[in-house]
Order: sequence, then C-alpha cells, then structure tokens
Amino acid sequence: MKTPLFGAFGAPGPKHMLGAMQSIDGRMRKYGNQGEVDFCIVGVGSAGGVLLQRLARAGFSVVGLEAGPLWDTERDWVSDEAGSHKLYWNDLRITGGEHPLTLGANNSGKGVGGGSVHWAAFVPRLHPSDFRVYSEDGVGADWPICYEDLKPYYELLEREIPVSGPAYFPWGDPHGYPYGPHPMGGCGDILINGCTKLGIRVCIGGPVAILAGSHGKRPHCIYRGYCIQGCKVGAKQSTLISHVPNALEHGAEIRDSCMVSRINLARNGSSKSGTVTGVTYFDSQGHEAEQKAKAVIVCGYAIETPRLLLNSACPGFENGLANSSGTLGKYLMAQAGNVVLGRFPELIRMYKAPPAHAMTEEFYETDTKRGFARGFGIQTVGPLPIAFARQMTIAKGAWGWGMRRVMMDYNHWGAIALLGEILPWPDNRLELAAEKDKYGIPVTKVTFNLHDNDKKMIEYGKNKVMEVMSAAGAEEVVQEQRYAHLVGAARMGSDPRTSVVDGFGRTHDIPNLFVCDGSVMPTQGSANPGLTIQALAARTADYLIAQSQFGLKKGAHSSETPRIRYDLSPPDTWGKGVPHLK
Amino acid sequence: MKAKDVKPGKVIRVLDASTRPIDPATGKPLEPRAQPGYYPGYDVLSQQAFWDAATRKVVLDRVRKIPPIRFFTPDETDLFRAVCDRIIPQNDRDSDHQIVIVNFIDERLHENRLDGYRFENMPPDQKAYQLGLRAITEIAQHLYAKSFLGLTTLEQEFVLKTVHDGNPPAGHDIWKRMPVHRFWHLLVQDIVGIYYAHPYAWNEIGFGGPAYPRGYMRLENGDPEPWEVEEKRYEWEAPLGSPSADYGAIAGMSEHPGAPGQRGTH
Repeated sequence: MKTPLFGAFGAPGPKHMLGAMQSIDGRMRKYGNQGEVDFCIVGVGSAGGVLLQRLARAGFSVVGLEAGPLWDTERDWVSDEAGSHKLYWNDLRITGGEHPLTLGANNSGKGVGGGSVHWAAFVPRLHPSDFRVYSEDGVGADWPICYEDLKPYYELLEREIPVSGPAYFPWGDPHGYPYGPHPMGGCGDILINGCTKLGIRVCIGGPVAILAGSHGKRPHCIYRGYCIQGCKVGAKQSTLISHVPNALEHGAEIRDSCMVSRINLARNGSSKSGTVTGVTYFDSQGHEAEQKAKAVIVCGYAIETPRLLLNSACPGFENGLANSSGTLGKYLMAQAGNVVLGRFPELIRMYKAPPAHAMTEEFYETDTKRGFARGFGIQTVGPLPIAFARQMTIAKGAWGWGMRRVMMDYNHWGAIALLGEILPWPDNRLELAAEKDKYGIPVTKVTFNLHDNDKKMIEYGKNKVMEVMSAAGAEEVVQEQRYAHLVGAARMGSDPRTSVVDGFGRTHDIPNLFVCDGSVMPTQGSANPGLTIQALAARTADYLIAQSQFGLKKGAHSSETPRIRYDLSPPDTWGKGVPHLK
Repeated sequence: MKAKDVKPGKVIRVLDASTRPIDPATGKPLEPRAQPGYYPGYDVLSQQAFWDAATRKVVLDRVRKIPPIRFFTPDETDLFRAVCDRIIPQNDRDSDHQIVIVNFIDERLHENRLDGYRFENMPPDQKAYQLGLRAITEIAQHLYAKSFLGLTTLEQEFVLKTVHDGNPPAGHDIWKRMPVHRFWHLLVQDIVGIYYAHPYAWNEIGFGGPAYPRGYMRLENGDPEPWEVEEKRYEWEAPLGSPSADYGAIAGMSEHPGAPGQRGTH
C-alpha cells in the first residue's frame, strides 16, 4: 500500500486553518492605527493569547501586536524537525556568564501562540509552597499572591486548554484532571518501570494540554511525536488554537509580523510619574507606526518584555520604564533540564507518542537531608533524531563513526529528564547589548551563573534520574546538561523597591502599564511554567475588567480581588469534563 | 595511537588500510550500500503520499534541491567538505546515496540564519567557520606538514580529534578569539543537523519520519507500524585505528551546559 485509499493528501484548501479542522477566515476586525484602543497587547503568546480573548469577549477594543506570523497551520507547519526552525525566536541575542543559557529553539517562540506553539505541553500546577519559598526556606522570594489566589484559575484553564491526565494527581494540592490520560509510549514505560522498581510514585498519561478525546473543532492526538515542532493536528493546545479563534470572533485584532520598538509615555510635568499612551512599532512592511491605547500590556516573555521596557527609557525613566526598583532584567530563571538517555537491549522507538506523557513530582519539595533547598521533577522527553544526535555529541562526545554507530541504535534509546528548580539570583540578568537588530533596536545580553544550591540540586537530581533510568533496565546511561524554560526578569512583589509589578501585573511605576507573562514569576518551582502563565493571564484579565470602572488610564484603582469571570471562557470549555466544576 | 599522544611538530604516520567499515567476521571492508543500518528495505519516502502537502514539499526539496555554494570560497568548500566527511563519514554509502551536507550549511551562513543566540566569547557564526577552517589547516600543517586535503582519512580524523579533545596543537591565535569546545559544537551540531534531517538517514536509523495526518498507532514495546520494518542487525567495525570510533568527553563541556543548535526537549 503506497497511497491512501482516496489518493495522496493534496495541497491545503483556501481557508486559513488553525489545526486540522478549525478555520478563522474573514473574522478579523481592523481598528486601524489612527484611533485609540482600550488595550494594546505586545506579544500574542501564552499570556497574550488568553488576555486578548478575555478582553475582547468582555467588550473592549483590543489590538495584539505580534513580532512573528499569524500561522496557518496547514501551510506553515510541517511534520519535520529541521523544517520547524521558523517557530523559534531566532534573532540575535548574546548569551554569557559562567553557565550560559541557550536561547532560540530551547525556550523562545515567535509567532501567534508564542512558546505554546512549540512547548511539549506538560501542565502541572505550582505547589502551594512555591508561593512562599523565602518564608519557608530563606532563599528565593515570596510571591505577593498565594496558591489559593491562583487555584480557581488553574481549574479554569485546565478546562479551557483542556488537560488530559490522571484522575488523581497526588503532589502539591492534590487534584484530578478533566480528561482521561494518554496511552503510554516507550519513554513513559521507562519512567514508570524505573520509578516503580525504586518505589517512587509516578503518574501516567499527563497532565498534558493534549487532547485524549476530540473537543469542539479540535481532533484528539494521533501520537505522531512532533509536539515541539508545532501540532498540525490541533490536539496540543497553543493559545493560537484554543483562545485566538474566540478572540477574533469577539472583535480582537491581531497585527502579526509587527515588532514593537518602544512604549510611549506622557510624563506628568518633570516628575518621575506618567501614563503610557501606546506603542511605536515596525509593521510587516518595516514601516514605523504608532498604536495609541488606554492601557498597554506587555506579554513578550522573559527576554523581550524586559528588553522592550529597557529600550523604552525616556526622561524621568532613564533606567527603563517601570524600573524604579532597579530589578528589571534581574532574577532571570531557567530550570535545570538535564536529559538522561538510556540504551535498552529491546527496541523503544521513542519518536512515537507525545514527548510529554508521564512524570513524578516526588522530589519537588525541600528535603533538608539532601543538603539543598527546593527540588525537582522527573518527566518524559522524546528527542527526535536531530535533537538526539546533538545530545549524543555532548552526552557521549560522539562524532565520526561513533556518531554513525550510536545513531543506528536510535530506536534502542529512551530519554527522561530532570526538571529542577534553579533559584532567582540578581546576577542572572539581561541587559542591552551594543549590537542592534534589523530594526535598529538594541539586542539583549543574557548573563547566567549557577549558584551553590543550584549545583547541588542538579547533581542530586541528575543522579536520581540516572538511577531511575538504570532501574528501568537501561544497559548504558548517559546524560546531557541543559536548561528548560525561561521566566523572571520583571518580577511581581508587594514591595515596589524590590519588584517591577504587583500581584496583578500592574507596574508599580506606571498605572496603565502592565506586564503579564512568565517574566513576572518571582520563583519557578519545578513545574513547567505554561499553565501558570496562562492562569496568571486569566486572573490579570479579570482584574483589568473589574478595574475598568475606574477608567483604564487613571492611577486610581483598588487591589481588591476581582470576581472570577467564568462566563468569559471559550465556548464549550468551562463546566465540561470530569471532575465537573461549574 | 591516541590524539593526546600527539606532540606538536611530530609527524604521525597512519596506515590507511581502508576508509570503509570492516566486517569483523572476515576482517575485510564492507561493500558500500545504498542503505546502511539495520532496517533493510525500509523506505520512508515510499510513504510520502500519506504526508501532508507542506511537509512533503519541505522533505522532497531537501532531497532534490541542493542549494549552490555562495558563502564559502572554492578552497574553503573543498576543505569543509573533507571535514564534513570525517565528522559524518559516509564511506559505507554508495555514491548515489550520500547525503549532501556542505551546501546546506553554506546556505545557512550565506543567509546568516541564526539559532537565536551567540555566546559572548564567540565571533558571529560566519566568522567562526572561517576561523575554524583556518585553524584546521594550521593543525594539519603542524602535525603532518601537509594540507588537510593532502592527508589520509585517518590523519584527517586525528587532526579533528585534537579539536574534539580541546587540545589543538596549532592555531593558538585563533583559539584566543574562539573557545575550542564552542567551535567544535557549532561544527558538529550543524553537521549532524543536516545529515539526520535527510530521509536516507531516517531509513538508516529506522525513524518513522513525517506522520501527519496518519499518525502512529503502535506506541509500546518498540513495535513497528505496518509500514515500518523489523530491525535486522549486522556486525561492523569502524575502519582500523579510527579515533572517531571511540567515545569520549569533550574538553570544557562538563562545566558548560548548553551547546549551539540545541533544541528544546521539554
């Protein structure tokens, strides 16, 4: 059988597709950039997509400016590793320090949906302890909000995304997931076998933002394994698939391929206060344009958000907008993501099934016996051939005939990974570099150093993951040290002297300038940040809607907890699934 | 002989019995194959009608449309081709089934296509390649008093192994401008990224390849899909004395997480 029953799959039709079954043709409202809109959102990624949807659905005029394209998933995305390079933020950034971060494909998206386009879609919640790390362990920072503030938004987003996973997730604040777990692939079997042999609790089939059953206009997973290359199926959630269509239906505009170069400010006389008036950006043709807005929400993630605020420095705000504390750009975090690879006598074929499908958080919390604060998780990964070959250049020092030999055994290898909490440190930071991008905007220089607690955690965690891999029956176990994710650098806090934004994302310095994305996180736990970022966005949206009664531009506002707007969920999400929450 | 035993200025003579892998049963070189690896008869391209159109175009263009050389000079091209042939040797492949590497890296450098970052102590990628190729030339001259192209394949491997090991005996002015291990990773990660993007390499390693809209259904126990094939292993050894057959840590990397071109896995 060399062709499908009805012939080869043809070219895509005329519709703009988001996933295999959902199209968004002719639905976008255009505000033009002459007038003033209520909200301008900079960056339509994990947080920006949710905010855009909420605010449009609540009736506000809202424009999202996105540096990358509004993807048509049938035309633009491919089932191919090398062909997916364009999903990442590939523009120049300088990286340094003693233990430099890799950027680009490792952690930075570009295009509508942002990083959620190429995440593996693990969606664990933070633990209650994550919000009071300083109080409990004397390291890191406390959040200005607690777990209970975010919990209803976790529950809400778990249904909007929606999440497939175990009926009972035992760690942190125990809870269940609305949709059933996925079947196991080779790496999941390895993690479960290894953990079971060692008496470590492990959960199966999630939690992942990948559909185990079809949902609305989204088909269920087909287990093709290309999650981090962009899910053409539309089974894996990105805000592009789950929230953007509903945002457009409610009158949001997305201006794609538009790079915001600065946020404009109207200063109050000669004081160090003012209000933002909108943003200046380069449109898709490279022409400079301005969008006026009553409020600006920066959702550019942990590098581009601080970069934009730093590049928007102006008289009265010489060190960057919203940087009176001097903490903007500091306390940048990545998680330790060591990949542990094991060779098995039997075949694994780890390219099948989503890379993310089994995990344990048994080592998440501080255990003083281990000699370091905080902890780590263990999760499945499923590197495709290029990623695996590159890992082998480090893990085994492979090249030449050695590379050819180990790659011929690709199907005998499995992979699981550490996800470890690196603490926030002021010297892990980004600054503006002397070099400029194609628009003439200064690029960032990122500096990253591992500290003693981080190194101890990585050493312990890496050894534990290798122990699990050996217990699963691997005859050879090697590992590659790397980082995963990227948060912090515009952190939230109660004290304006030590943080950039408050617990709702409002900058301490400028009342109508907000930040909402991973950069606001004061600590990161050992949970993948995607769900937390989207939950924070929904919470900030509720706050903005509730506060609009005071006027969007004005400084007057309350810090009262807003009503949770369950009525703003995309259709057929909230109230569905088991356990049934309404 | 190990590369670490190489003293500056010392000329190593290496017997070049064969450039091809050896059959351990007979001790003789294996004949070049259309498809090395343990999945004889597996042809991922035979499934292309089951792929979506966008993916089919990207993969077939990779096979059929070889970009012209625009970045490297003719001399650099010849030298870099020889380097690629050692980093990913293809002497076990027949001439019709070798995977072109140089042109795709040349295309990336010509278009100045980045991976989203540059290490603070590295020059831009274009410059790094030019410097690195000059350093390889200097190491070859230093060890063998010959150009890299004038060396046997094993001698070429020994030259590259000094870079892998982080102790190149020449090119010191260049290595002051660019850490050895960073250049090694740029080079190796780019090259393996081209080779293992090719459907011939997928056939070699038994990778299922594109799987939309069809998907996979046999997820556990390493079971093949109906259109995949069972593994059939054979024994082979690298050419006699080949230093790239051994695995070994790369100098400088244990303290430096993160390598050029690395992709996210979670």
